[in-house]
Amino acid sequence: MRVWMLIALVACTVTSVALAQENPDADRESKIIAMEHVWAQAYMAKDPKALARILDDAFVCVDSNGRLHAKADVLADVKTSNLLQLLMEAMAVHLHGDTAIITGIFRTTGVDHGKPFARRERFVDTWLYRNGQWVSISSLVTAAGD
Amino acid sequence: MKITVRLAIVLCALSLSGFAQAGNEIGTEAAIRALEQQWTDAQSRNDNRALDLIFDNSLVYVEYGSLVTKGEYLARIKSAGPQLSQIVMERMSVRISGSTAIVVGTYRERDLRNGRPRLTRWRFIDTWVYKKASWVLVAAGAAPLTE
Repeated sequence: MRVWMLIALVACTVTSVALAQENPDADRESKIIAMEHVWAQAYMAKDPKALARILDDAFVCVDSNGRLHAKADVLADVKTSNLLQLLMEAMAVHLHGDTAIITGIFRTTGVDHGKPFARRERFVDTWLYRNGQWVSISSLVTAAGD
Repeated sequence: MKITVRLAIVLCALSLSGFAQAGNEIGTEAAIRALEQQWTDAQSRNDNRALDLIFDNSLVYVEYGSLVTKGEYLARIKSAGPQLSQIVMERMSVRISGSTAIVVGTYRERDLRNGRPRLTRWRFIDTWVYKKASWVLVAAGAAPLTE
């Protein structure tokens, strides 16, 4: 049983690597989606250092209340994150050279001022490939309409 | 003497290059601001052709929390009657990073909801990319200002 699982894992890895080599865009899309997961994990782990590495210094975010946040605001917010769960879904990446747009939905649950909440929000993030790595330069979050 | 002259030439070239770069950035910023205005104007006139040139084919637009493609956006404009909503742009800032520009700003929208006039203020983020010698809109969305 273990051998079959190992074979399946190796086959999956080889296929992914081959696909990435065949289609560099697929590789870049996977990287951006992985970065989004790093972002989510940083919030859950209240880890501003992990987030600082993937946000550009000029990063700007508009939240679902229309408030504007700079990178420093977001990093401070991570430290006091009140999230209990963060799930991401329906992510789609659009590449434009060294710029990538990613859209998706995230579902969050948590407790705010003693009150539990559950939100479903849509995000549109812009990533830029700079100095050999992807950094996020903007993010829009709004209550999901569908 | 020669060294001083060479140094002066190098400094001069560096200054000119700096000015040129700053000048380019100012020019790009002005171009992006003009495109934002053209978008508002084209929408108020239901001008699909103008919007077609402004929007990239893979535009992602978020409207009231839903994703709208370029095709859906243009189809709606085409079938719409005279615009009942009025959009007034407020302040905006433009940040340029190579061939990408991020515009953040606010606007006021006056429209009718259930026959009653409604005023909503929105904060938006638009992403423009320089492609084939022109700037095109690749992503846009807004969130209502609740405070």
